[in-house]
Amino acid sequence: MHIPDGFIDVPVAVTTFVVTVGAIACAVKTTNHNLGEKQVPMMGVLAAFIFAAQMLNFPVVGGTSGHFLGAALAAILLGPWTAVLIMSSVLVVQCLVFQDGGLLALGANILNMGIISVFVSYYIYKGIYTLLKGNKAARLIGAGIGAWFSVVASATACAIEIAISGTSPWEIAIPAMTGIHIFVGIGESLITVAVLSLVLVTRPDLLELQVA
Amino acid sequence: MKHDFIDKYSNLDSFIHRLDPRTKFLTSLALTIAVVLTPAGNWKVFLCYFLILAVLILFSRLPLLYVMKRSLVIIPFVLMVAIFIPFFKQGQIAVSYNSGLFQLSITYDGILILTGILIKSWLCILSLVLLTSCTKLADMLEGLKQLGVPHVFILILSFMYRYIFVLADQAMRMQQARDSRNFGGNYWHKFKIIGNMIGTLFIRSYERGERVYVAMLARGYNGEVSAIRKLHYAPADAYFSLLLFILLLCPPLLWW
Repeated sequence: MHIPDGFIDVPVAVTTFVVTVGAIACAVKTTNHNLGEKQVPMMGVLAAFIFAAQMLNFPVVGGTSGHFLGAALAAILLGPWTAVLIMSSVLVVQCLVFQDGGLLALGANILNMGIISVFVSYYIYKGIYTLLKGNKAARLIGAGIGAWFSVVASATACAIEIAISGTSPWEIAIPAMTGIHIFVGIGESLITVAVLSLVLVTRPDLLELQVA
Repeated sequence: MKHDFIDKYSNLDSFIHRLDPRTKFLTSLALTIAVVLTPAGNWKVFLCYFLILAVLILFSRLPLLYVMKRSLVIIPFVLMVAIFIPFFKQGQIAVSYNSGLFQLSITYDGILILTGILIKSWLCILSLVLLTSCTKLADMLEGLKQLGVPHVFILILSFMYRYIFVLADQAMRMQQARDSRNFGGNYWHKFKIIGNMIGTLFIRSYERGERVYVAMLARGYNGEVSAIRKLHYAPADAYFSLLLFILLLCPPLLWW
């Protein structure tokens, strides 16, 4: 759901850009405080990981295929602010190397896929985890639901931006984007749960960094 | 490693390739904004912008077929969002079809909006292809740093760029291994396998990140990275920017 240029108008592009810059500045500050600038190589490698994971396709209904987004996974494994930085890096490289998503629309794309998706999934995950008194099943349920909402929320945000720009009427944009991503979200949710259960079995110490 | 799809033509030599990355970034952005601001229906203005882009693409010596192919990247999004607009937009009806159950009609306003979006996004993607195919990512990042992007963010991006090749390779090998073992079965099984692949990739990446960090510490890394790369803003950059801005301003002044 990378928005190309031409689909959102300049006011929407500028507004989303300003919000994104604020969020990234905050993320830089917070991660600097928590991890130190010394964690930079690690974050670079993990951003490359998200990028590589997005290359693996999975089948969706009717012969089409979707790919993993990874925002929820990054948020759960690494915490929201680190995830914001990593997802933003992925989106910047996708724009500047692969022309996925427009230059002017970069702010909107980062907001949808790198910020909204991260925070929605993280707080749903954390809410369910604390509500169910934090055992392994609670983590997996929280991750699954969080991942589904991350995809649907970012698709809806994308549709709202397009509708506000006057490109596409509300009654087309919302069903088209959100409708398709209700199904894509199921794939995302299943994969996130599978990845998390593998990590819980092999390197449970990685998760202790987060919800401690 | 087979990743010639990354940064494929940034090593060519042309007038455009030699421009400073800041010049290229800012003029691309200006062109994109100019195109997006032009209301649908001003075909002459769009034609002028297309001519400017066409001249620049010819100057850049990029293979035209490659530019065309890359510009198709917008198609999925167009299909998903824009293609229904002519059917829903209110206005004077161009074509109408009544099947008894429902009425399908295409309006002139809808067609106008759809063509406007198609032209705008195609012109913008041409400009983006031109920018990214003529600039090495390392230069671009240095340019963005000069333009005020936070240092940490630039560092993360440059590390990411280095490891994309390694990790993409790993992912592709896993996919090949999976496919050669007759990847099939039911839906749940497939998702579990992909989940395991991504999980394995995550753990490997994490451990690689730890090793990289330790290796850098051993070589005296203290959170600072100094680059040898120096950008050079030449007079040609100033002339080029000025000329392009004037060319961008002319069509709207003439025909709006």
